[in-house]
Amino acid sequence: MKITDAAVYPYPLGDTSVRRLALEAEALGFDSIVAADTPSGVYGGVEVRSGLMIRDVPVKDVISAVKRAKDSGRVISVNAANNNFNRAVIGIKGVHILRGIQSADKTAFDHVAAKMAADNRVAVDIDLSSIIMGRSVVRQRAIHRYMDIMVLEQRFEFPITLSTHARSLLDMRNVRDIAGLCSLIGMDVPDVERALSGVGTVLTPREPAVKVIA
Amino acid sequence: MSPRPPTLREKRRYILARIEPAGTVLEQKELYYAISDATTSLWGDATTAIITPAVVALEHGHVVIRCRRGTERELAIAVSTVTACRDVRICLRIIAASGTIESLRSRFRPKKSPKSKTQPGHESGTEPEVEKFATETGAVEEHTLPECTFAKKTFFIEQCNGQKVDVIEKGFKNTNRLFLTKEDLEDLNATTISDRI
Repeated sequence: MKITDAAVYPYPLGDTSVRRLALEAEALGFDSIVAADTPSGVYGGVEVRSGLMIRDVPVKDVISAVKRAKDSGRVISVNAANNNFNRAVIGIKGVHILRGIQSADKTAFDHVAAKMAADNRVAVDIDLSSIIMGRSVVRQRAIHRYMDIMVLEQRFEFPITLSTHARSLLDMRNVRDIAGLCSLIGMDVPDVERALSGVGTVLTPREPAVKVIA
Repeated sequence: MSPRPPTLREKRRYILARIEPAGTVLEQKELYYAISDATTSLWGDATTAIITPAVVALEHGHVVIRCRRGTERELAIAVSTVTACRDVRICLRIIAASGTIESLRSRFRPKKSPKSKTQPGHESGTEPEVEKFATETGAVEEHTLPECTFAKKTFFIEQCNGQKVDVIEKGFKNTNRLFLTKEDLEDLNATTISDRI
């Protein structure tokens, strides 16, 4: 089980180089990070996975982007929009994470989408930056939305990932802080552990339901 | 008025946190307001009144925060949401919690070695190399800081601690801090790195 921060944005998207983010992640108790638009590698004992964040494009473009990035080993995530878009995206083979649920419509992720996410092993990302940096209504809305996601997760058991969306090392939080912040949305320690290893879960190929022995 | 006997006093706990980025100069009062705002924003007035957060010490880049016993968890969560102090971006990394301030002070106070006695006003041990250079040469001025280039731009090296290098762009407009490593600077332009770092 690798403890992973599912989204960080190194320089030039942020103010911290990917090596420095990796050093900081190691100090904060992470084993790996998913860095946007950065080649994969290992820095200071922390595995940096390359992440592809797709946002504000129609489903057609998502399909072509996923096709291009297939077999590249990148962690592909798509920003959530309305319910139809989300269901379509979850159905695309190769999409690993659905992000930005907190800023999508109230009905963007329902029980049908949750069932599809569980079947297709697509994770839903919990963006902690909206809890850390958001204030008043923004934070309240995010907490409420994540609590709703957790209710669906308990029922359908789709993967969850946790990300700080750090653009600077100052935005990163250690594992203990993350567990504390997740307690605000009703996650207990086993839930947090499962969520922190969510990236590994969605990247590991699923074992077939029926095993041919001979 | 006689002080309340110890058995009737409120039980308190103290949380030690490191201030990042290193070398950030903050006022105790401003930091108290930042922590108090974060606590009130997250937990509301009623719970903040129960937590009663207070900044009791701010020294050597560390802060000691007081709270009522049993509310450490709430305070720690609130402290993790502190992102700025008077428009200065900061982050508080919680190190430990204790029942006494003294035990926390022993964690961050530089240990005095008998051989290296420092002059009054000088602090040794934990100071980064760049700071040392600045104090050895006299007055700390901006132009005395070593320079480097990164992404075809010139930067002043603000902090250097092990592999970690914090730089600030030379000039008046972009004074944002970049967080890099020595390896980043070596990769991009090995010839322009100062020997002093």
